[in-house]
Amino acid sequence: MVTYLVRRLMLGCVTLVAITIVVYALARAMPGNPLTAQLGEDPSRKVSAADYERMQRAYGLDKSWPEGYLQWAGNLLRGDLGRSITRKQPVTTLIGERLGPTLLVSGTAFLLIWTLAIPLGLYASARSGTADERGVSLVLYALYSFPTFVAALFLQIMFSVWSKGAAWELPLFGMADLPPDAPLGSRIIDVARHMILPVVCQTYVSLAYDTRFIRATMAEAVRQDYIRTARAKGAGPWRVLFRHAFRNTLIPLVTLLGLSLPSLVGGSIIIEQIFTWPGMGRLFFESIRERDYPTIMGLTLMFSVLTLLGQLLADLLYCAVDPRVSVE
Amino acid sequence: MAAHGFWIEAWRRYRRRPLAMAALGFVGFLMAVATFAPAIAGTKPVLCRYKGRIYAPCLAYFDRRFEPAIFAKDKFRGTYPKNLAEKDPESWAIWPLFFQDPYRAVRADEWPGRPENPSMDKGVPSRMHPFGTDQAGVDVLAKMVHGTTVALLVGFVSMGIAGTIGILVGALGGYFGGWIDAVTSRVTEIVMCIPTLVLILAIVAIIEKPTIWHTMAIIGFTGWTGIARLTRGEFLRLKGAEYVTAARAAGAGPLRIMLRHILPNALAPILVPITFGIAAAILVESGLSFLGFGAPPPSASWGSILNGARSNLAMWWLVVFPGVAIFLTVLAYNLVGEGLQEATDPRLREARK
Repeated sequence: MVTYLVRRLMLGCVTLVAITIVVYALARAMPGNPLTAQLGEDPSRKVSAADYERMQRAYGLDKSWPEGYLQWAGNLLRGDLGRSITRKQPVTTLIGERLGPTLLVSGTAFLLIWTLAIPLGLYASARSGTADERGVSLVLYALYSFPTFVAALFLQIMFSVWSKGAAWELPLFGMADLPPDAPLGSRIIDVARHMILPVVCQTYVSLAYDTRFIRATMAEAVRQDYIRTARAKGAGPWRVLFRHAFRNTLIPLVTLLGLSLPSLVGGSIIIEQIFTWPGMGRLFFESIRERDYPTIMGLTLMFSVLTLLGQLLADLLYCAVDPRVSVE
Repeated sequence: MAAHGFWIEAWRRYRRRPLAMAALGFVGFLMAVATFAPAIAGTKPVLCRYKGRIYAPCLAYFDRRFEPAIFAKDKFRGTYPKNLAEKDPESWAIWPLFFQDPYRAVRADEWPGRPENPSMDKGVPSRMHPFGTDQAGVDVLAKMVHGTTVALLVGFVSMGIAGTIGILVGALGGYFGGWIDAVTSRVTEIVMCIPTLVLILAIVAIIEKPTIWHTMAIIGFTGWTGIARLTRGEFLRLKGAEYVTAARAAGAGPLRIMLRHILPNALAPILVPITFGIAAAILVESGLSFLGFGAPPPSASWGSILNGARSNLAMWWLVVFPGVAIFLTVLAYNLVGEGLQEATDPRLREARK
C-alpha cells in the first residue's frame, strides 16, 4: 500500500513537471508578451524602446523559455508562485480572490446536482421501461445535449431582455450591483439574484449526466445474482432497490465525485465569461489573453494537481470499498 | 472477416430503435444539406450559359478557386442576375432555391421583388428572411445552410484525427505493455490533465491565421485521451485471448495480430466514444466560435452567428435558430452513439431479454 502510494505520488510529480513544461512553452510561444498585450491597447502609454527593454528585463521576459521555466520552477520549490505581471499582485492573492465567487456558484450547483440526481436516478431505475420513465430520460438526454452557452444566451434573453421591469427580471451579468457599504441583507439578495442564471447553467448538464450515470450503474447492479436472491427471499421492490442495489452503486458514484473535484474549484470558463462572473475560469481566460505567464502557470498547476489528486482519490476509494479490487 | 455477422446482427438490433434511426436520418439530412448548400441558398447560379458556354459558378462556395475566370474578367463582382442579362442577352441560368448569400447582404434591385436586406434590430424573421438577418444584414438561413458543412466536417475530421491517435496510442500501450505502456499512459495522462479549452486557446493564439481546418486539427489532437484509454483496456483484455495465441503460434507478426485479429474485435466498444466525441467536437467548435476564437469571419460556423447575438441580445433570432441547430445535431450524434452502444454491447443485450 505504502509503496503503491509513493510510486503514484512520484509518477504524479513527473506528470506535473511535464504538464507545466508543455504549458509554459505554449504560453511563451503565443505571439506577444504581457507588456505588448497591455501597452498595445492604450496609445497614451507608449513607452520608449529603452524603457521597454528595461521592463522586459525586470520581468525576466528577455530570457529564453527554458530559462524562464527553470526560474519559475525554482521559485515554486521555495513556495513562491510569483507575481502577476499585468495585475501587479501575487498569484496566490489573485487565486484567493477568485476562489470564493467560483465556489459560490459551483458549490451551489454541486449541491443541487447531487440532491436531485440521486432521487431522479433511483426513480428512473425503479420505473424502468414505463412511459413516464422514458419521458424523463428523454428530457434528461436532451438537456445533456443542450450547449451551455446557448442555454445561457436563451436565459439571458428570457429573464433580462424580455422581462424588463417584471418581478422576475434577473441581472444580465456581474456578481453584485449594490456597493459594499449597503446593508448585508440586501447585498445577499443582490448576489443571490446574480447567481441564479449561472447556477442553472452549470447545474443542468451535470444533472442530466449524473442521473443517467446512476441509472446505468443501477441497471448493472440490478442484474446481479444477489438481487435475484433478495427478490426470491421476498424483499419488496423498494427494499431491493435501496438496501441491495443502491448500496452497491455507491462505489462508482464516489469515483465520479472524486473526478468532479477540478471542475468544482476551476469553475467553467464559458459560463463565467458569458455572465462576467469574477471567478477562476474567467481569470484563466483573461490571463491567457493578457499573456500573464505567472497567472497561467499558477492556475495550470492548481488544475493539474487537483485532477491528479481526484484520480488518486478515486482509485484509493475504489480499493477501500471493494475488496475484490487491489491497487497492485 | 469473421466480424461480418456481428455487424449485420448489430445493425438489425440498431434498426429496432426508432429514436436512434431518426437520429441517423437527421445526420443524413444534414449531409444532404451540406452537399447541396450552394444550390439551396446562394447568389451564384447553379448552372448558367454565358457567351456560348455552360458554367457552374455555385461551386465557388466550396472553394473560391472554382469561380470561372471569365466572370472576374467581365467584372461581374459577384452579382450575377443583372450582369448575366446585360452582358449576354442570350444567357440563361438555373438559380439556387433561396436567393441569399451567406457572406454578404443582398442589395436592393439585385433580384426582382427582393428589397435590400435589413440590418441590426430590423432583421426580425419575416417572409423574406425566415430566420432573420444579422447585424450586417446577412441572411441567417443562408449562413446556417452553408454552416452545416463546417458542423459536419468538424465532427468527422477532428474525430478522425482523435480516433487514429487514440487507437494507435492505446493499441501500442495495451499490446506491448512494459515501458511502452508506461510512456503512452504518461502521455495520455498529461494531455488529460491540461484543461482542454486552455490548450486550444493557447494553440489558436500561436497559429497566426487560424482557419477552420486548424480548429479541427486542434480539437482532434487534444480529444483522443478517452479513446486511447478504452483501446488500451480492450487490447489488454484481448491479447490474452486464445485466438490471439493461436495467431501468434501460426507465425503472425505483432502488427498483423494488432490490425487483423484484435482491432476488429475491439472496434465496437471504441466506436461508441468516437460517436460521442463527434458530438463533443461540434460543441467545442461552436463554443470556440462563440467566444470569438474560431475561424475568421468568412467561414459560416453556427457558433459565430451566436457570437453576434452576445453584443445585441434583443436580436433573439441569432440565438434561437443556430442554437437549436447545434442542439439537434449534438443530440442526434449522442443518440446514434447510444444506439450503437446498445446494439453492440453484449451485456446490455442480455438485460433486454
